Amino acid sequence: MTALLDVDGIGKSFGGLTALRDVAFQVPQGAIMGIIGPNGAGKTTLFNCISGLMKPDAGRVRFGGREIQGLRPHRICRLGLARTFQIVRPFRGMSVLENVKVAAFARHDRGPAAEAHARAVLADLGMAHMAATDAGILGVAELRRLEIARALATDPQVLLLDEMLAGLTATEAAALCDQIRALRDRGLTILLVEHSVPVVSALCDRAVVLNFGEVLTEGPTAAVLADGRVQDAYLGSAAPCPT
Amino acid sequence: MIRFPLIPVLLVVAGFAAATQDRYLMDVFVLTCLYGTMAVAWNLAAGFTGLLSLGHSLFIGIGAYTVAYGVTAHGLSPWVMLPLAVLIAVVCALAIGVLCFRYGLKGYYFGIATLAFSEIAFFLVSAAVWLGRSDGMMLPAGGDPWISLQFRAKWPYGLMILVVLLATLIAGWALLRAKTGYYWRSIRDNEEAAEALGVPIFGFKLFSFALSAGIVAVCGAFYACYVAFVDPRSVLGVELSIQLLVFSIIGGMGLLWGPLLGAAILIPASELLRIWIGASFYGVNIVLYASLLIGLALFLPQGLGALRWRRRVS
Repeated sequence: MTALLDVDGIGKSFGGLTALRDVAFQVPQGAIMGIIGPNGAGKTTLFNCISGLMKPDAGRVRFGGREIQGLRPHRICRLGLARTFQIVRPFRGMSVLENVKVAAFARHDRGPAAEAHARAVLADLGMAHMAATDAGILGVAELRRLEIARALATDPQVLLLDEMLAGLTATEAAALCDQIRALRDRGLTILLVEHSVPVVSALCDRAVVLNFGEVLTEGPTAAVLADGRVQDAYLGSAAPCPT
Repeated sequence: MIRFPLIPVLLVVAGFAAATQDRYLMDVFVLTCLYGTMAVAWNLAAGFTGLLSLGHSLFIGIGAYTVAYGVTAHGLSPWVMLPLAVLIAVVCALAIGVLCFRYGLKGYYFGIATLAFSEIAFFLVSAAVWLGRSDGMMLPAGGDPWISLQFRAKWPYGLMILVVLLATLIAGWALLRAKTGYYWRSIRDNEEAAEALGVPIFGFKLFSFALSAGIVAVCGAFYACYVAFVDPRSVLGVELSIQLLVFSIIGGMGLLWGPLLGAAILIPASELLRIWIGASFYGVNIVLYASLLIGLALFLPQGLGALRWRRRVS
């Protein structure tokens, strides 16, 4: 396996607070890789540094051998690395189709071609029936799917998914998991941030554990989750009982 | 989704045809088209790109004053000054845009910054001797009317502003249905999501703002020729910027021609109120006009255009 995305020594701090310190891992082509860790471990900050929303203070991000750290988000997107947002950001003044069409314009300059591409993506995700619906009235599960549809319409090689399953019911989450697996089977590489351990163990080939902004461990998901330090980070180690 | 504004275009052409016989009607037609064009242009930036400019009078004033200065001080034709007026307005818009967007001014903060720039221009011009200070400048009549653009009849003005309005509507329609329009609306709805989906937001915001400024500069240049008089109050005042906003809100900011609809209702309405009531009970017409505005804003917050052309909701 070759590393499609290579995160190398990323550091980021906000004032005196160190959010990320020397974070390094590699995402092999065709993998579903999970970033897990307790609240405040720096998962979303890491995503922001990879996708260009924030500039890392230190380190490099290589995508297909090319350094992308510090590029503007729209450049990174056009290189083939698309992301979704944990807090959904639909274009509320537009229909579902128009939302996806905006993204399709990243690959097609002309309106009809972009629209055809957007319709194909919606049909692929089983969302064709909502094409004309106003994005402003969608529920949270549909908005999450819209986030994925928009990201896919930019024809990415790597998809960054930020807590896609938070707040969904079990049925909705299971359907979305199936969809994510189907995307991987079509050749996409997926890096996702997830809070829930069961989801990660069901979905991810590999996992990185972040704790207080540093990589705790990295490897095949089952091995990572079995690691005692990971369980400590999540559950806390047994405190000595005061007598 | 963005359909060609065929009905508004036909109505405007019909309005011109109907007004050719009457000087007063033609005056109302010219004012409606003039303010309608400026409001449509303002709304391209504000309603479609989310750049809520409160200082568009700056660009109108640049257009009007460039022409007035060229004509009065150097005897040049407005035709010569017009490209220069547009160029200056576009350069100013780009400079203001670069400053504001570079430092991430959005929403009301952007509005206040643009307002500040237009107020600076207002006070500078009010103090500039070579621009007539607050007394303004009168454009001399005479010469070939098609060169000096000083006509005795009203209809040539109607024809000119009709062409400007139609060009604005057609250009606006062509841009809104293409990639540019989608990118503008995505920036309006969520800048960060737009950028993550490959939209170069800086360039598209600059384009929107500069285009809008260029169109209103043409209107300002036309204003100088039509009224043959410019002063800071009438072409640089904040009232002018607010008027564009009012026409757009009343007509509907989600529609290309919504602001034109607002102007087409409010300008004739204010004229009618002035004729019927203003002469006998001075001031009552203004009270009624204000009540009309408040009523429309309360009962049709999406604008009049939204009555029929509501967005589809499944």
